[in-house]
Amino acid sequence: MARSFTDKLRMLAGGFAAGAMSLALIAEAAQAQGHPAPRSVVGEEYTPTIWVDPDGCEHWVMDDGFEGYMAPRRTRDGRPVCRRSQICGVIPSDQLFKTDKFNINENGRKQLDEFFKTANAFGFLIYGHTDARASDEYNIALSDRRADAVADIARAAGVRVVDVKGFGERQPRASGSSPEALQQNRRVEIYCVR
Amino acid sequence: MQMMTIAKYVALGGFLSACASIEGGERTGAERSVDAGRDSKSLTQLVAGVWVSPDGCDFWLIDDGFEGYLSDRLTPDGRPVCSGVAPPNTVVGPFREGSDIPDPL
Repeated sequence: MARSFTDKLRMLAGGFAAGAMSLALIAEAAQAQGHPAPRSVVGEEYTPTIWVDPDGCEHWVMDDGFEGYMAPRRTRDGRPVCRRSQICGVIPSDQLFKTDKFNINENGRKQLDEFFKTANAFGFLIYGHTDARASDEYNIALSDRRADAVADIARAAGVRVVDVKGFGERQPRASGSSPEALQQNRRVEIYCVR
Repeated sequence: MQMMTIAKYVALGGFLSACASIEGGERTGAERSVDAGRDSKSLTQLVAGVWVSPDGCDFWLIDDGFEGYLSDRLTPDGRPVCSGVAPPNTVVGPFREGSDIPDPL
């Protein structure tokens, strides 16, 4: 009825062994992230191709005969991998705004109004970006307000605004801190949704 | 009416059996990057429509005859696009145009 002492000992040892095994798996996973150790993988080859959606973004696609599979291709930080055709317009901030300001001059207003009315899109995504000369927090707020200012003109022109956001200095277009690079990074990007 | 239904299934049955040898589950590796079945086009030529989820966000929907594909429409920073192009639970656009295979199912 009662388990013998050796049985209990065996169970205990088994428990330890299972624990040790899961630890080993964790160690292997950790190792895979840093320096991959050679190991054999039991798997099947599944090679996808790329399908480009109407926005210009890439998707992995596979057809194994009966089923089809698809998922967006992303960078490791989660952004979709897209081709240049996706962007509809980039406006240098210097053309629209004075330093640290977010109201748009009359000439900029006219140009944007014209752009929105003739772009022939279903809707627009509007994103503000700054250079890296102030704090991250300040730049997020400034780019937010600048994107909002452009979105207000879009709405006044009678078009649909799908998304508005400020990214501050976090998504520079050019690297480095030369005046040219900084100037390229101060911008409002407009994406067209067809 | 019933005759028509029967005729449809007979036609479909013939069609399926004609394709059974190619449209199998026996494909391997890189073969999976090409559309299986009769039209064997590259999967890069698929034509999508937009399906709007119950949450109101956009997905690319492709009905390729046998296979169906669904994938996210994303903003440049990876959030879902919720454009309002159609009401939730509807699909718009040429999502069946990628294939001339009839799709009675």
